[in-house]
Amino acid sequence: MPRLNSAADLEKLRQKILAKSDGKKRVVSVTNGTDGRTRHSQDIVKNFIDEIKKQGLTGKVIVKSTGCHGFCEKEPTALILPEGICYVSLKPEDVPEIVSETLVGGRIVERLLYEDPTTKQKIAKESEIPFYKYQSQALLGNNRFIDPRSIEDYIALGGYDALAKALFKLTPEEVLEEIKKANLRGRAGGGFPVGRKWETTRNAPGNTKYIIVNAHEGEPGAFKDRTLFEGNPHLVLEGLIIGAYTIGAHQGYIYVRHDAPVLIDNITTALTQAKEYGLLGENILGSGFNFNVEVHRDIGIFVSGESSALMAAIEGAVPEPRPKYIHTSVSGIRESPSNLNNVETWANVPLIINRGAKWFTGIGTEESKGTKLVSLAGNVRNTGIVEVPMGTTLKKLIYDIGGGVRDGKKLKGVHVGGPLGGCVPEGLLDLRLDFDELAKAGTPIGAGSMIVMDEDNCMVDAARYFLNFSTEESCGKCVPCREGIYQMLKILNRICEGKGTTGDIELLEEIGGVLQDASLCALGQTVVNPVLCTIKYFRDEYKAHIEEKRCPAGVCF
Amino acid sequence: MPKRKTKSSFVGIKVTAEQAALLARLQQALNVTTKTEVLLRGLDLLAKSHSLSVPEVERPKVVPEIATSLELAKFEADVLRYTNALQQTKNRTEEVMKQMVQELAKTDKIVDKYGSDKSALIQILLEIQRENNWLPKDTLMWVSQKLGIPLTQLYHIATFYNAFSLIPQGRHLVQVCSGTACHVRGEPRLLDKVEDALKVKPGGTTKDMRFTLKTVNCLGCCALGPVMVVDEEYHSQPSAKDIEEIFATVE
Repeated sequence: MPRLNSAADLEKLRQKILAKSDGKKRVVSVTNGTDGRTRHSQDIVKNFIDEIKKQGLTGKVIVKSTGCHGFCEKEPTALILPEGICYVSLKPEDVPEIVSETLVGGRIVERLLYEDPTTKQKIAKESEIPFYKYQSQALLGNNRFIDPRSIEDYIALGGYDALAKALFKLTPEEVLEEIKKANLRGRAGGGFPVGRKWETTRNAPGNTKYIIVNAHEGEPGAFKDRTLFEGNPHLVLEGLIIGAYTIGAHQGYIYVRHDAPVLIDNITTALTQAKEYGLLGENILGSGFNFNVEVHRDIGIFVSGESSALMAAIEGAVPEPRPKYIHTSVSGIRESPSNLNNVETWANVPLIINRGAKWFTGIGTEESKGTKLVSLAGNVRNTGIVEVPMGTTLKKLIYDIGGGVRDGKKLKGVHVGGPLGGCVPEGLLDLRLDFDELAKAGTPIGAGSMIVMDEDNCMVDAARYFLNFSTEESCGKCVPCREGIYQMLKILNRICEGKGTTGDIELLEEIGGVLQDASLCALGQTVVNPVLCTIKYFRDEYKAHIEEKRCPAGVCF
Repeated sequence: MPKRKTKSSFVGIKVTAEQAALLARLQQALNVTTKTEVLLRGLDLLAKSHSLSVPEVERPKVVPEIATSLELAKFEADVLRYTNALQQTKNRTEEVMKQMVQELAKTDKIVDKYGSDKSALIQILLEIQRENNWLPKDTLMWVSQKLGIPLTQLYHIATFYNAFSLIPQGRHLVQVCSGTACHVRGEPRLLDKVEDALKVKPGGTTKDMRFTLKTVNCLGCCALGPVMVVDEEYHSQPSAKDIEEIFATVE
């Protein structure tokens, strides 16, 4: 393992790696992340290696175990390069046929191709599959070329160049300027301008500063962070080191949940390798900058994702948020300035440094720049992680990329942002993926989870479901949240049992208003969104439950 | 009228004057450094006196600064109460003592593994839970002593998270994801099937201590929904028959 002591060393290593692979070999890239493994992708990888050996192709074909490419619904998939042929929904016993037909014989196995559900046409090339065709995978694209357990794969694709550029060609102030010019906004729900947060932490008094990766991802229905981090851990790590350099922090933390074994494994491997190669730890790339990262595994309840709660958990206490009279950027872990950002936010940093703020601002809307990862799930045909430019309409997301509603049902709405978000009704699907536009409609983007609901889902039941979740996840510290949610849940339970009375809707709105005004943290303030939003757009359903004692979707009674 | 015994205290535990003198002589005779060590030796002897054929339990090193508190006294009383109650059933006494001593030995190893670092508390508790399937009271008391964290604080944390259990749980954890995506894809029906198969409700444990059923919020595999996890193995959209087979294969 060569320790890199300069930017020139990094480039030399890259050339060496590229020369070894010489681009002439075929590559079989198999999705082997958490989702894939549930469907035996580990066996598929093993079978490929065995079968390739058996058919005398060792040395001519490389088998790569990669993370998720985004199309979780059809995993495990195998991508054959350089042709770009994609085989979907694989089983371990399909492997010998692929090797003899495609790798040896150069023929396509029709039955394993993706079939368009409307045209019934089989599509061979991955880039032509509608799910992928309409995406712009700036962040996720490299997942298909990288084995997350190999730092050399990442370096070969230009990895750590942004770090070298930041350390040797730019001052911390210049990096900060670039991030501010790019108008990168937080990708976990707050949408807060990243440059401003970094600046506050950088300028806060004190010599010890901390930076943190929030890989908690507690929002139900959101799995974009895990997909990105599991498949390309070095991208996030590189962003983190650049951030540390800019802010002047020498200790970083990665907060993960204990129940994500593949993710934790990939992160710890990445950290170990980065350290061995001199890209982390003491004297990074010979620049004199020191930075260490610790992985903090925690149980993680929903509120643990809140920044002050998360920092309390890192200190070993119970994750209870505190009122933010003083921001965590000024006083966080052990009262030192601490900068917390989401996985996707950190991943955008190397891209901005490499390609420039101008490239980044060229994508998206006026106030929401760059691409966004969306976890598309629920009753949609193509469940998975989708990456699109900000400003893409929800209609395009659900129909063009998502393939529309499953089983030919009618779309009722799409729930954006989980328990703290709201439901966009069918009539408003022209809303664009934009922090402010969605927030104004009462359906804030949150962590980017989109759950598609069809005619068989009841909106009142959905509101009750979210409140039920929030009752259990509230930390219980402040009265409005702890008591308010419980009372609202009682009312909703009555409505769903057919015992609703006139005035219930207005009462829900009133209690909701109190929570919004008086709660201690963002959880309490936004937990009423699903209820208020469903009342706003689906008032008829509530009325039907209360006045006619009827559930239009046939779910409640 | 019973004679009032003059009470003194030995490391915070109320003892009679005769007992205190005996303990002080013991401390001298055994040539041990702390009074806590005397008590721990006593525990050793208690275990041995029940003729346990257990290999010499490595006596953990106790930091002299830790003042023994009422917890250890309560623990001692607990142990005696336990053994007294279990004297009703002959063989169980030995078994329980064996179990308790082994639990404590394992707990001690776990705490040492994390360097007795207070901020690693959650990770220590997670390991203890994984080892025993629950958090036995004696292990919590041991951790409290070793890390110098009040027992009430440990209970604060153990009761805060659903992941921890203060009552014995089954050998296998069955989790049904009740996240939003799984919910709209039919999780309630899956949960019904699992409840039927195990004959317990979420939070409950089967009588033979094989399975504990819990609902969990979002495992992040929404494309596989609805999802059931058994001992960290994920199962996507299992049918009633699948569920039966899966449960039959674990012991």
